[in-house]
Amino acid sequence: MSEKEQNFEALKQLLKLKQHEVPPPGYFNNFSDQVISRIRAGEVSGAQTFTEQLEATAPWLVNFLRIFETRPGVIGAFATSLCILLVLSVVFAERSDESSKAVFSLTDPTTSATDGSVAAVSAPPLLAASESYGIAVSTNPVASLQPTTTLFGQSANAGLFQSASFAPAGQ
Amino acid sequence: MSEPAPIVDANSPTGMLEGDLVKRARRGDLKAYDELVQRYQQRIYATIYHMTSNHEDANDIAQDAFIKAYQALKSFKGGSSFYTWLYRIAVNKTINFLKQRKNKHHFSLNDLDFNTENNPDLVALISDKTPLRDVGLTELQKKLNEALLKLSEPHRMVVVLHDVQGQSHDEIAEIMGCNIGTVRSRLFYARQQLQGFLAEYIK
Repeated sequence: MSEKEQNFEALKQLLKLKQHEVPPPGYFNNFSDQVISRIRAGEVSGAQTFTEQLEATAPWLVNFLRIFETRPGVIGAFATSLCILLVLSVVFAERSDESSKAVFSLTDPTTSATDGSVAAVSAPPLLAASESYGIAVSTNPVASLQPTTTLFGQSANAGLFQSASFAPAGQ
Repeated sequence: MSEPAPIVDANSPTGMLEGDLVKRARRGDLKAYDELVQRYQQRIYATIYHMTSNHEDANDIAQDAFIKAYQALKSFKGGSSFYTWLYRIAVNKTINFLKQRKNKHHFSLNDLDFNTENNPDLVALISDKTPLRDVGLTELQKKLNEALLKLSEPHRMVVVLHDVQGQSHDEIAEIMGCNIGTVRSRLFYARQQLQGFLAEYIK
């Protein structure tokens, strides 16, 4: 370890050579003037560019986008993963449509209106008979809130509705 | 980390505290910002120059860093000193630049100053420890810069900030946004690498 330290000492001394590298004489005399005049020019020309605004508000996003600039392979991988994600979401969306259709078909009154077994299964026994006026009551939150009939179709509870007419009164 | 001591530059025209200058610059006082630039221009430039080994690149990045700092002054919360915050901007700009430049090194080295040959450490190093005793300082400078450019950016940054600029581990950790242990391990690894690259110049 001491030998290593000694070698590091030699290296540190060698690195001191860097301290003697200096810019051309007078370089710093104008440096701040150049900075200030560039700031003034920027103020005169107006607001910051979109990139500068983005860099000020969301530097993490700018850093993220810079990865793509420096590593083209990464953007390829990112685009591929996005495509895969899109395909998977389409496939799963179709599957979920199919499964929901299957669920609705079980409670669809047009197919099972005459069959009281479905309502009897999905609704509590006491409520099913007395309170399911147009709405099937069930603990199933999705399937049970479907109307038992369509608005304009034949309803088993047709007696609850009055027929409307546009004919003037007295006719 | 302890609160940084107020920085007053005895050579500055006004001798104002750093905090007061920052407050005035935030209100759009360009004279105050000019003074801040003058205060830190040499250190910021030197750090960038030692990272890039190119005077023109260092000039552009240093100016950009100061301009970016001015534009972002309103977001400066004062959690760290202005100096550390400015350094962080310069370091990030430099590392981003180097990532884009990637493997396209072209030297534009500054000249060595007149004091180089009077530096006892360097004289001793060349006359006593270097096997190639006839090596010139300019050649040694070139080899040293080549060796530094072989290091990764974070390792080079730690060596530059610590061994060339004399910053403490704490300051480097704050500037680079990592913990002190990381700074120490990077420094050790970077020195080992440099030692290997410069073996023929270090006995």
